[in-house]
Amino acid sequence: MMTSLTIEVGKVLLVLIGVLNLAAVLTWMERKQSAVMQDRIGANRASILGFRAFGLFQVLADSIKMFAKEDFVPPMGNRFLHTLAPFVSAFFALIGFAAIPFGNVIHLFGRDITLQVIDLNVGILYIFAAMSLGIYGVVLAGWSSNNNYAFLGGMRGSSQMFSYEITIGATILGVLMIFESMSLQTIVQAQGELLWGVIPKWGVVVQPIGCLLFLVAGIAETKRVPFDLPEGESEIIGYFVEYSSMKFGLFMLTDFVETILIAALVTTLFFGGWQIPYLTADGFHFPGGFTLSLSEVAVCLLQVLSCCTKVFFFCWFLLLVRWTLPRFRYDQLMRLGWKMVFPMSILNLLATSLVILLLQ
Amino acid sequence: MPTLTINQKSITVPDGTTIIQAADKLDIEIPRYCYHPGLSIAGSCRMCLVEVERIPKLQPACNTRVSEGMVVHTNTEKVKEAVSGVLEFLLINHPLDCPVCDQAGECYLQEYYMKFGLYESRMDENKIKRHKAEVIGPHVILDTERCILCSRCVRFVNEVSHSHEIGIFNRGSQSEIGLLPGKVLDNNYSGNVVDICPVGALTDRGFRFQCRVWYLSETNSICPGCSRGCNISIHSNRQRPHHAEGRRVVRLKPRFNAEVNHWWICDEGRYGYKFIDDPSRISLARVKEKGEFLVLTLDQAIGRAGQKLKEALERAGRDSVVVIASPQLANEDLFVIRKFWGEDLGLSQIDFRIPNQNPARGDDFLLRADRNPNTRGAEAILLDENGFDLTQLLRREDSRKFQLLCLFGQDLTKKLGVPWAEKFLQQFEYVIYVGSNENETSALSHLILPSATYAETEGTFTNFEGRVQKIDQAVEPLGDSLPTWETVSKLARALGYGYDYDNAEEIFGELAERVVEFQNLAYEKIGDSGVEITDVSKMQVK
Amino acid sequence: MNSRELTFTERLYIIEVFKGLWLTSRHFFSNMKRHLARQLGLNRVERGAVTFQYPEERRPFSHRYRSRHRLTKREDGSPRCVACMMCETACPAHCIYIVAGEHPDPHIEKFPIRFDIDLGVCVFCGFCVEACPEDAIRKTSCSKILAYQSTNSPSSSSAISLNKGRANVDGILILS
Repeated sequence: MMTSLTIEVGKVLLVLIGVLNLAAVLTWMERKQSAVMQDRIGANRASILGFRAFGLFQVLADSIKMFAKEDFVPPMGNRFLHTLAPFVSAFFALIGFAAIPFGNVIHLFGRDITLQVIDLNVGILYIFAAMSLGIYGVVLAGWSSNNNYAFLGGMRGSSQMFSYEITIGATILGVLMIFESMSLQTIVQAQGELLWGVIPKWGVVVQPIGCLLFLVAGIAETKRVPFDLPEGESEIIGYFVEYSSMKFGLFMLTDFVETILIAALVTTLFFGGWQIPYLTADGFHFPGGFTLSLSEVAVCLLQVLSCCTKVFFFCWFLLLVRWTLPRFRYDQLMRLGWKMVFPMSILNLLATSLVILLLQ
Repeated sequence: MPTLTINQKSITVPDGTTIIQAADKLDIEIPRYCYHPGLSIAGSCRMCLVEVERIPKLQPACNTRVSEGMVVHTNTEKVKEAVSGVLEFLLINHPLDCPVCDQAGECYLQEYYMKFGLYESRMDENKIKRHKAEVIGPHVILDTERCILCSRCVRFVNEVSHSHEIGIFNRGSQSEIGLLPGKVLDNNYSGNVVDICPVGALTDRGFRFQCRVWYLSETNSICPGCSRGCNISIHSNRQRPHHAEGRRVVRLKPRFNAEVNHWWICDEGRYGYKFIDDPSRISLARVKEKGEFLVLTLDQAIGRAGQKLKEALERAGRDSVVVIASPQLANEDLFVIRKFWGEDLGLSQIDFRIPNQNPARGDDFLLRADRNPNTRGAEAILLDENGFDLTQLLRREDSRKFQLLCLFGQDLTKKLGVPWAEKFLQQFEYVIYVGSNENETSALSHLILPSATYAETEGTFTNFEGRVQKIDQAVEPLGDSLPTWETVSKLARALGYGYDYDNAEEIFGELAERVVEFQNLAYEKIGDSGVEITDVSKMQVK
Repeated sequence: MNSRELTFTERLYIIEVFKGLWLTSRHFFSNMKRHLARQLGLNRVERGAVTFQYPEERRPFSHRYRSRHRLTKREDGSPRCVACMMCETACPAHCIYIVAGEHPDPHIEKFPIRFDIDLGVCVFCGFCVEACPEDAIRKTSCSKILAYQSTNSPSSSSAISLNKGRANVDGILILS
């Protein structure tokens, strides 16, 4: 009993610390990556004893600054909800990771250990529920600030997230139909199969349109450029306009955590999760008949590494998108959501069901 | 009365008029160096050559009298060529040291070169070197290299000042201006040669390197040096305080007035501006407490003066207060003094006349023995039939004490001598000094109110002939200082009288209504040359 | 404003999005390559960024760049300036302060006993150089005009001052 509890707590801490650290690194990455894309150098001044580490200490300096700043609550705002909002946002963004598998089931110390915090049979629904509840953070922040700009940001945020969540749901349906499960671990395991013995049966291969639409809707879910209308730094500042100190820091952290969550979901649903093509439990089996046997621990480590690399890549990709595209206008955003992305996902669903029906 | 035509414009002028005078009346510019309307005609510079129809050669406009039906052209090609040629000759040996020359900016060589010269230099020879920066008098410095030998200065010392210090020596290209043996250009009118010198040969030692002339603003004013009331123009440097050691008024120049001073001004008046930016200026109000002067704000000081005045009147009545105004003040200041002290408070002991123990001397040209600009105005405004005479008060031997003395800028110590002044001032419980500069008298007073100098205020002076002339404000009043009429108005308001004058013009309007000599005068009609007041004594004869 | 009608592919947007991503990622990878090469010491010439890290790195200026003033000198080392105030008059920023004095040599006559340029106010237009009739003031390529404090006094460390016939910049003698 104690051992399994220790293992569970260990897994929780591993994921939590990993995600939070990655989020912190992403703030640095965002600045450095955009700088490199724009022929600049980026933040590089923060130093410890003259050692600069390419500006990595900027993250540390920023967080110290965040903690040291005055925590301001607008006098006419709702103090309780104002304080609650950032925690709601951050909490629901973080708990989504519980259902993400970062490795296969391994046998260790005579136990079967799933490399996933919790293997829910409705994992994908659980993540969607968490994401939907995250909207409350935005709405509460906008409302409790007693500021028109914040309120407008909150309203924009809720309508945008509702709109795109429908698309996400419709897109995912295609994947669920193909892999016939709502457990993410099962979906990832199913992606280890090969089509015609050569091509890995990854989500992106069987659902290319679905993958694209999911990415679009996913970026919209993170509320970042080009879909950053709830924030809109250059116009309304957004739902967190009245936030300062670490409460604002939590909102910013939530943004990055959501980015990681979307990257993890894309990896899990469409890019094989922890799968490496042609790698099975006992080693590589390439299509030409060439094999390379590996120990179970090595295979497991490779798979975890593969999952992390993919997630990291998609984080990089989302940042690339964020620093490439200009922001949509609000009506353009809604038209894209309801008239383009949503109908296409329905069509995609129809086509998928047709193909599945024909293949049976 | 011949009628002639200059550049298609015709004019009728008196007999004996020269072409250049007729052209000046028509505002047609004829370049000139040696001609000056106040001096005899030399005809030496040849800049004023004009073309006269039916005369084959060009004629000097300064020396050719007009005749009936004369047709003159001043802007033909022939004239331009001749003027340009003359300029070329004049500049052969000119050092072209405009960067160091004080005249640059008001130099007629520069001016006419830009208008009529503009040729390329053809001078291959070396320029003749001469004396530079030669001090020839207490106020004037001579640069013989820059001289073009127009002889204006020589004619001035011979014809106007009759002092005969300067002459032209040597011949041909060696000719140069110099002092006559054993002489120094030291007469009371020596500064005028700087004004009439068209180039930078004679420059002012006091103004030398102080400020560039293009930084200066000109304001029309009247010299306060004596009762002649010479018209002057105040040249002030308002923009660049690092020049002229921070002095705002940099120099005075005479201004033409045919009725008063013509083109001239004496040196005593010309260099009499220095008190305006002197360190002895009073910029803040001060009160003496336990033998030491403490600085007050102006409102505090006015309040204290009002309180002392009220106390004096309540305690000992009107006869315990004496006001000594000053003939240095403008008519408007004097009128407000008369109105407040004389009419509203009903004092009778107001005077401005102080027997001067060291009387100054005048001369037979401009300078008057009376060194005050507005004695005539003060007499007209302040003196009335009651016949209070300050001299009697000053010579009094009994020891009756007075309560208050209000002294407007008069330096009693200087005029009466220290013992007499101290004895006189000790008769008063409290002495208020309203003035622009510190002196021994202000040191003996109890309360000092700062007042603006004539360059910092506007108003009018009446000269000894009864000519009312206008002074304009050249610079802002220093520190807290105010025009005297404003100080008195503030004091009157402190005692509950409604004085709300905005400017000198408003006061002059009331003055013209109330003072018989000033009747029928209006501020805006004074103009540049002034207007005369009515002489009451002559009126009574009629 | 008349903007160009979008073509069909442009209106699809998604193709343009990928074009844009291609452009920015190309920049990212080529710049990363240069940065890495520089960090590893393989190539020190190519730079990954167009910006300069100012206090440590200085952008090389063109040799025609004209910035800080210099007062030229006569053969005997005294300044050529005759305090004619032309530069002071021409200066649109009113940052030149000259006080003239009497020179012992009557053929020089006038010289500046004070010549200050408040570099904190100067706009580096070069009018002073244009205005000078004596070629006494020039501008140099020196771009090091730094001061940690600006003071109201024009004779502060951010000013060129000329004392006792020597052109002084931050206490360093400038030789013409």
